[in-house]
Parts: sequence; structure tokens; C-alpha cells
Amino acid sequence: MLLISVLFMWNVTELSSVFRMFKKKHTLFDDRFTKTMCMAITMISSFVLALYIQLLLPANQTGLYLLPIVVGLFIGWKFGTIIKAPAILNGIYNGTMGGIMGMMLGAVLQNPALCNIPIESEAMIVSNMYSLAIFAACLHALISQFIRYSFRV
Amino acid sequence: MAKITILLILYVDVCIALGFYSYLRRVKKIIGFQLGMNISIVMGGMTALLSGILLIQNYPFHFTLITVITTLLGLTTGALFGLLFDYQTFVSGLTNGVIVGLMSPMIGTVIEMPSLFIWFVHAFFVLCLITIFVSIKRS
Repeated sequence: MLLISVLFMWNVTELSSVFRMFKKKHTLFDDRFTKTMCMAITMISSFVLALYIQLLLPANQTGLYLLPIVVGLFIGWKFGTIIKAPAILNGIYNGTMGGIMGMMLGAVLQNPALCNIPIESEAMIVSNMYSLAIFAACLHALISQFIRYSFRV
Repeated sequence: MAKITILLILYVDVCIALGFYSYLRRVKKIIGFQLGMNISIVMGGMTALLSGILLIQNYPFHFTLITVITTLLGLTTGALFGLLFDYQTFVSGLTNGVIVGLMSPMIGTVIEMPSLFIWFVHAFFVLCLITIFVSIKRS
């Protein structure tokens, strides 16, 4: 669990740095560029953060079980309000979709019998979870690197 | 027998994607950025979906490895189709390939009638290709 918390902090730091850069430079770009970049960063970051939250929350609780979707919706809303009306719909749609998908992947990784995946032993489940979480964090780093590179040129 | 059929279908899909890529390289001068973005999103997503379903049907005991392979495949396909046009189509094709590639092995494990579902997804793929061809001819 400590490893997943460290990955969570890393991705939140990266996401906030991208958001601050976006906020500072958004008058330089046209609407199409802003819409595309909002779509890309909203989709991948809400997916990855919802996956981590679903893995970090204890199983079988009822109070917080919609939290990953709410986090995805919040990310989409924040990125959508950078420019006006059509982008906020785009952001909310992509953020909620990413949140639902990340929650589903997290639930399957915690309990592989949901999907008929033939993994039985406890150690296999844990190593499976850690390897996919590290892979998702690397993908998030790659995509935010591409987006930060696109602000420079 | 069924495994050989699945491998043959996978080979035919790879050939279709490569042929479509070389066709697009020749006609990319007449395609605008709007159609280019849609082409890169559709091709990255469909490649990730087809390869995820076919590979998990063929090797059902390697879930993690197949997820990694499918995601990298969708990422490279979306990026290659997007690099034909400009930087924004590159980023959107790459992201869509990643998301669909992370999801598709899960779909492959839960389906109940595999052959029917595989033919349905291929009919969908051919329909997407026909739509793209018609749009290229009209532009």
C-alpha cells in the first residue's frame, strides 16, 4: 500500500504542475488546442487517480464508494472551466468516463474472480496489482511529458 | 482448431491495418485535420480492442502481460496514425489507444459466446473502415 500511496502523490504533483502551466499560458493557444489537451490529460489522469483510490480504500464500505467517480468529475470540471461553454461538457464527460473505468479496473484487480481470471493465490494477486499500478503511473508520466512538451513549442 | 482460427484472424487484422496505413501515407495531402483526428482515434482504439480480445481468448493465463502488450500496441498504433497529420492528432490517438488497451482484456475474459462476439467486433471494424473510405473520397 505504501508504494501505491507514493505513486498517487507523484501523479497528483504532476497533474497540478500541468494545471498550473495550463492556467498561466491558456491565452496563447486557440480553442482546438485547448480542447484536445484537456481531453487527453483529463482522460488519463482521472483513470489513474480513480484506480489508485479504489485500491487504497478498504473493501466493502458503503460511505465512500462513489469517491473515484467524484474525483474524475472534479478533475474534468476544473480543466473544463479554463475556457468557456463547450469545453466544460467535454471535460465532465471524459472525466466521469475515466473515473468509472478506473474504478472497474481497480475492482477487478482486487478480486480477479469477478472476471473469471484464473489467479488464485494471494501473492499473485498482490504482485499483479503492483505491476499494473506501476505501469499505469509510467503511462501517466509519459502523457504528461508529451503535454508539457507541447506547451514549449 | 479454435486457437489456429484466432491466430489467423489476428494475422489478417494486422495485414489490414498495415495496408490501411500505407494507403493513408499516399493520400495524406488531401485529408484535413478534423478527419485526421477521427482516423487516429478510431484506428488506435480498434487495434487495441481487437488485439486485447483475441489475445486473451488465445492465452487466458497471462492477464498482466497481455494488458501491458495491448496497451503498448494501442499506444504505438494511435501515435503512428496521428503522426501522419499533426501534434494534436498524435496526442489524442495515443491517449485513446492507452485507455481502450487497458480495458479490452477485461472484456475478453467475461464474454459468453466468443465466436459470435468476435465476428460482431470484426463487422464493426469493417464498418468503421468503410465510413473512413467514404469520407476520404468525399473530401
